[in-house]
Amino acid sequence: MIEATGLTKVYGSKTAVDGVSFTVKAGQVTGFLGPNGAGKSTTMRMIMGLDRPTWGTVTVNGLHYADHKAPLHEVGALLDAKAVHTSRSAYNHLRAMAATHNIPTSRVHEVIEMTGLEAVARKKAGGFSLGMGQRLGIAAALLGDPQTLILDEPVNGLDPEGVLWVRNLVRYLAGQGKTVFLSSHLMSEMAQTADHLIVIGRGRIIADAPVQDIIAGTRQVKTLVRTSAATQLSALLSGDGVTVDQGQPETLEVTGLDARQIAQVALDNRVLVYELTPQQSSLEDAYFDLTKDEVEYHSHLTGGPAGEFAPETAPATAGK
Amino acid sequence: MTTMTDTQTSRVRSTAGTKGVTFAGVLRSEWIKLFSLMSTRVLLLLTLVAIVGVGALAVLIRFSFLDEMARQARDQGQTLTPEMMAQTFPPGSGFDLYNLPNAGLQIGILVLGSLAVLFISSEYATGMIRSTMNAVPRRTPAFVAKAILLAVISYVITTIAAVATFLIAMPVFQGLGLDLDWSTDGVLYSVFTGGLYVAGVALIGLSLGALLRNSAGGITVLVGLFFVVSIAASFMTFIPGDFWKYVPQYLPSDAGGRFLSIGHTDGVIDPWQGGMIFLGYVLLFLVPAMIVLKKRDV
Repeated sequence: MIEATGLTKVYGSKTAVDGVSFTVKAGQVTGFLGPNGAGKSTTMRMIMGLDRPTWGTVTVNGLHYADHKAPLHEVGALLDAKAVHTSRSAYNHLRAMAATHNIPTSRVHEVIEMTGLEAVARKKAGGFSLGMGQRLGIAAALLGDPQTLILDEPVNGLDPEGVLWVRNLVRYLAGQGKTVFLSSHLMSEMAQTADHLIVIGRGRIIADAPVQDIIAGTRQVKTLVRTSAATQLSALLSGDGVTVDQGQPETLEVTGLDARQIAQVALDNRVLVYELTPQQSSLEDAYFDLTKDEVEYHSHLTGGPAGEFAPETAPATAGK
Repeated sequence: MTTMTDTQTSRVRSTAGTKGVTFAGVLRSEWIKLFSLMSTRVLLLLTLVAIVGVGALAVLIRFSFLDEMARQARDQGQTLTPEMMAQTFPPGSGFDLYNLPNAGLQIGILVLGSLAVLFISSEYATGMIRSTMNAVPRRTPAFVAKAILLAVISYVITTIAAVATFLIAMPVFQGLGLDLDWSTDGVLYSVFTGGLYVAGVALIGLSLGALLRNSAGGITVLVGLFFVVSIAASFMTFIPGDFWKYVPQYLPSDAGGRFLSIGHTDGVIDPWQGGMIFLGYVLLFLVPAMIVLKKRDV
């Protein structure tokens, strides 16, 4: 179990993590979701004691990470696949990590086999591809057979097979009663892997609930309407709290009214409607809904004067 | 690709051991780190060769000098006695024969000091330091293990090189009739203290690496401290007045060098005082490095 209380990290004038409190429970996969620069990595680094919180505290199974007698058996972390000396082989890297806890070499071979690194284990880690580096990071995290697993963007750079493997692995470990805390900026990945979600934006928690609740909690339910009189119906439906998007010909996307209300308006005005489909809200919608005001770096796809490309807030230095 | 059944092995708690962090384990981890790099192994071997090589060169230079003197004396119909030869190296001039074991010491300082800087700064450069701090989150044991390892390796290599250098030097000077063997005053002292000096330099190097977190910066400061500052300070002795003559001996390189010699000279600090001053410098770098390492975000 991971417990954070009022966790805050300030870098100079920039508050990367702003008074965050949450609990990550054992026996389930908890997703840590947020846009780039939201404070995910900084929070995880504070859990691992790499960064010192400016305020607040975070414990793993009741103790600060550094206060555990056997930290690698307590928490396995992949925070940064590049946390390896580039001239050292994967095997020797793991052996050096294992030696600190007197973990036998047989366990090193085990994690190499588990992560599919046998073929490259004796090669210099500096020459690894992004995916291989990620596998080495996961191997290091699993080395101590930890009770808690913290993985920062674990599927980053993995091939589809690797993504599936990580998904199965974390689900399996959670099933064994372990605590799994997984960050990602990919909501589709989280929808398939996590049981519980903590959504962070600009250093603040904006949602902390089971995945299903977050999806269900999205207020903006869309209804797809196909009608022979799109423009007329659009005008009739428009009103307070109702958005009507006219996409393809004879097609409307209506938010703010449910299918029954739309049908009633159509009937009252003798407008032909030949399709009326409520759109299942996805985690993706929920995520965009939650984070639309919290995104650190807005993309501007449309052209325009250079000034328009500047982020609306001061550029962040944290969150690397 | 592995299947789920392979991960079953991770359920067996004993396969990963349960002992937790021990200092012996951390020491072994640092040992693995140091020697699993091809560059370190090659460097240590070359250092040994270089210290003995430079030592042998110093022996050769002195031999040709004495040989030339003896030849000139013969040409003038005189005989150069061993006593006269010995007088060409007045005590404290830096050319004492008992100091021959440490003739190649400067190379050792340069290479082992740089290796010490790199031992930690390369971890910052590659990101390895985060893995190190994950495994040893208390941090200090990892730094202490690195320090012990570097000090011991520096001492052992320097001492082996000192013995080898003297084994080369001894027959050469005995051939000239000079009285030089293991029982000569200061020889054993030189053999066993040279390594202490180099170990101290390595500890300063490690501290610089931890403080600056940058390989080039750390090595530059180390070279500056032990080579450039010493040369610059020697110009101070040209400043009129006695005061400036006594300043350079308090520098780390000069104090450390004085520690390697024997005997008392008026107006100069005694060897043991030099050793204490040098130890002070080592702590001056080591302690802040440990504090900063413990506190700073990585």
